[in-house]
Amino acid sequence: MSVATARRLAIAFFVLQAVAVTYPGFVPFSRIEPRVLGLPFALVWPTAWIVVSGLVLWALHAVESRRRED
Amino acid sequence: MERWHVVTAVVLGYLLLTLVIGLLAGRRVSESVEGYVAADRQFGLLTMYFITGATIFSAFAFLGGPGWIYSRGGAAFYILSYGVLGIAPWYFIGPKAGRLGRRFGFVTQAQLVAGRFPSRGLSALFALITVAAFVPYLMVQMSGAGIVFNVVTEGHVSFEAGAALAYGVVLIYVLSGGVSAVGWTNVFQGIVMMVLAWALGLYIPTHLYGGIGDMFDRLVEARPELLTAPGLDAAGRPWSWGAYSSAVLSSAVGFVMWPHLFMKSFTSRDDETLRRTVVLFPTFQLFLIPLFLVGFAGVLFGSAPETPDHIMPHIVLSTGLPALVVGLFCAGGLAASMSTGDGLLHGAASIAVEDGLLPFVKLNDSQRRFLMRALVVGVGALAYYLAIVQKQSLVALLLMGYGLIDQLAPPVYAALFWRRATTPGVLAGLCAGIATNVFFLVRADLRPFDIHEGILGMIVNAAVLVAVSLATRPQPAEHADAFVSAPEYPMRKGVGVRT
Repeated sequence: MSVATARRLAIAFFVLQAVAVTYPGFVPFSRIEPRVLGLPFALVWPTAWIVVSGLVLWALHAVESRRRED
Repeated sequence: MERWHVVTAVVLGYLLLTLVIGLLAGRRVSESVEGYVAADRQFGLLTMYFITGATIFSAFAFLGGPGWIYSRGGAAFYILSYGVLGIAPWYFIGPKAGRLGRRFGFVTQAQLVAGRFPSRGLSALFALITVAAFVPYLMVQMSGAGIVFNVVTEGHVSFEAGAALAYGVVLIYVLSGGVSAVGWTNVFQGIVMMVLAWALGLYIPTHLYGGIGDMFDRLVEARPELLTAPGLDAAGRPWSWGAYSSAVLSSAVGFVMWPHLFMKSFTSRDDETLRRTVVLFPTFQLFLIPLFLVGFAGVLFGSAPETPDHIMPHIVLSTGLPALVVGLFCAGGLAASMSTGDGLLHGAASIAVEDGLLPFVKLNDSQRRFLMRALVVGVGALAYYLAIVQKQSLVALLLMGYGLIDQLAPPVYAALFWRRATTPGVLAGLCAGIATNVFFLVRADLRPFDIHEGILGMIVNAAVLVAVSLATRPQPAEHADAFVSAPEYPMRKGVGVRT
């Protein structure tokens, strides 16, 4: 994957996240059930986005590092 | 020996250790403005990781986070969401700003923007906004230190004395070591803060209710309205999605625009360090979860604290934890407060001198450093005085701070990414943005959809910036290009461009 593509995908991901954790994206997920590890789902939802964000940033960085060494 | 004696001894030991680390770190850099403000551009990944985390996670997160959960439930989830969204743009703009800093010798955000848009007024405006936004933020940190001290010593150490003691230590190491002391104490304090937060967050629900799941089972029965977003407002009525969403967005945009954080682009050794800092940041963000759990534990707790912000120390004191642990908790709270407060003090003083004075008065390197140190004392004393005298207006002032900081975003993005932007455009946009922001701050009843005034100001700011820029003469292509297309990857890993 080229650096430009990876960056575009990463930016798209963060724009998607901005909608998913606010109105209206959060509305259908702001609920108590299903509980995960005892936590209400409304707390799990933004937490999951943080975890996935970490993975996306790591992947973007991995792509960029490989390209730079070429 | 009574319990509060042990607690106080642990805290004093902690403060002493922090002081020693700060003083030692200060000896590592050169006696120059670049050393005092940008640590000779030599911070590596470890320092940058903790400086970013500790700068952001302040007494607000440590006391206010659990306090918001306790009183407003899911409204607090917004704090969880904005951090990662806010730091992501830094992956792109941080290294670019750092590169321009190494090339042109910038040590502050305003120097970068005024480098692209030459205007002393613009530089002074940035300095003014910074100081106006920092003082209330610093007041919150000082109050946090005072509260922690006062509550865990069961009132034996007064709020005023606690805040003075903690910030006396901060003052000494910031004066002597500058940003280098800030960085290395943040590493130490960041570790203390994270370990304490996770330990307490997992221990308290288990100790009180038998487990995290069991605690939430009881909450589902007793207070289900606290478990979903957008939660409740300060008065306990349901909060609006408009306010919740714009709180996330305005904080996310403002996040890296806070000058004390943005300036850290200039302290990093190279691009790679900054990128890795951003990649690792989400691990720091997760540390809000255990703090939230303590807040939820407080909801079911038998007795109520004085105010929601006291819930964290209140629970720690009332669950019969050993004095040593209470002392360590206090250290963690002070760590959260001091590790943000030191950066604010240092940032306010550096920016006031570099951006507020230097464009107007000729000063040599040692005069600048002397003035910075004088201002560290001045700003610290002012914030301390205000924190003690007028506690009521704090929230209003802090909210104004966030809105103001948002207004720095359009100029910074224009400087780095838009060739056609002009100096009159940026100045007009900034003034219009500040005016809009202040108007909707005062007339909150006129806000469309309950949207945060910082966002409204930013929309006007950006629109005016674009319109006026297009109506005025473009900058010479060569000049604009030097900022917009700062070469992407001119170096190998770990090697910075130095010219």
